Amino acid sequence: MDDQTLPAVSASRICKQFNGIEILRDVSLEVQTSETVCVIGPSGSGKSTFLRCLNWLEVPDSGAVRIGGRPFGVVPLSGGGTRPMSKTELAAARTRISMVFQHFALWPHLTVLGNVVEAPIHVLKRPRAEALEEGRRLLDRVGLGHKADVFPHTLSGGQKQRVAISRALAMRPEVLLFDEPTSALDPEMVGEVLAVIRDLAAEGMTMIVVTHEMGFAREAADRIVFIDGGQIIEVGEPEAFFERPATERARRFIARYMK
Amino acid sequence: MTLAAFLTLITGALTTAALSFSGIAMGVPLGLVLALVRWLRVPLLSAVVAVYVSLVRATPIVTFALFIFFVLPSFGIELAPVPAAILTLTLNTAAFNCEIWRGALEIFPRDQIEAARAHGMTTPLLFRRIILPQLWRSSIGPLTSEMTILLKGTPAVAVIGVVEITRAASRIGAETYRPLPPFLTAAVIYTLLIVVIVAGQRLVERRIARLYGYAV
Repeated sequence: MDDQTLPAVSASRICKQFNGIEILRDVSLEVQTSETVCVIGPSGSGKSTFLRCLNWLEVPDSGAVRIGGRPFGVVPLSGGGTRPMSKTELAAARTRISMVFQHFALWPHLTVLGNVVEAPIHVLKRPRAEALEEGRRLLDRVGLGHKADVFPHTLSGGQKQRVAISRALAMRPEVLLFDEPTSALDPEMVGEVLAVIRDLAAEGMTMIVVTHEMGFAREAADRIVFIDGGQIIEVGEPEAFFERPATERARRFIARYMK
Repeated sequence: MTLAAFLTLITGALTTAALSFSGIAMGVPLGLVLALVRWLRVPLLSAVVAVYVSLVRATPIVTFALFIFFVLPSFGIELAPVPAAILTLTLNTAAFNCEIWRGALEIFPRDQIEAARAHGMTTPLLFRRIILPQLWRSSIGPLTSEMTILLKGTPAVAVIGVVEITRAASRIGAETYRPLPPFLTAAVIYTLLIVVIVAGQRLVERRIARLYGYAV
């Protein structure tokens, strides 16, 4: 099997507890290359935790994650079994899968362009000039080329989030994770961020988007994953999921949102 | 006050400045190292640092100076008064600086750290590129306060025979029976030294603002 046929992301039977409270139970999901999957569900259902388990920001209690077919977070041993990755191995593995956060999490002491090129230069060791050129191109692409040299605190929320997307793209990741990318935004800024994500979907970026934006999920996702109570309740194509949900829980959730 | 007395005061001032500067120059970075040990929760060492900080915070500088000067020799470590004084002040201020750095590390925004990790940064890189440049911003005020406290704590080392400003002033006062001129001069010198420290703080703050684009 070559890499093309392997799922870009494969999570199998992820379990996670916090202080004895079960957050995720046996969550399994495969995402194909170039697919956009939107993860929806009530607050506290575990969808953000699931996303954070995919890049080991939360370490699952059990279960396995593979990125492009390669185990993530653990190293297979020749005699069978696995061992946890060392910190260095984990850092290297994380360069393949990038993330956009709810509260942007830009680094305030760096300029906008500085934020975008920081990891490419210092983590990936790309030549500075090349990284700067690509950084400017990525900022142009999200409509913020003219803001390259200002500091993040001068930007609006929507602009910050677009910078964060450029920063994630600068890693040239195999997979892009979005953790509620528009939840911290004023309503009038949601659109500009969703437009960028929609463009990425159209270009074939592999993405997993945790979101409360049902309209966006319906329109931009290839598949919808509905999580409730720490479990995947239903997976389906957007049209089918929103029009004809198979489960009662999904039906009630949709009804509440579409009111 | 005679010229000789005045020169004695100036010599005392230089001693105070040298002791304080040495203590600051070594105590600030040492405090950061101790804070990192605590922040990274280095097994065993972290507990040792915690005990050290508690002990130093509970002990007057005078007592600490006497301990280093009179007790360490029985462990084979014999120090002249000035090195003993510098060691005392450095170890004292390092404990307080440790708490300042640690406080700043503990409140460092978690989301920035997670973003760094998600972008593949290792802990040393995260610390050097993301945390340290911003750590100065929240620490420089408290660190400066601690520097002024250290400076004003230097008379404590007179007890092991180091003649700094206050010691010099009281000697002159005792010899001339006119304590006002030497103590007034001493007060002026202390003020000037503090002014220098605070000017240093302003300089660092302006440099941070220029480098990183925000006001402190």
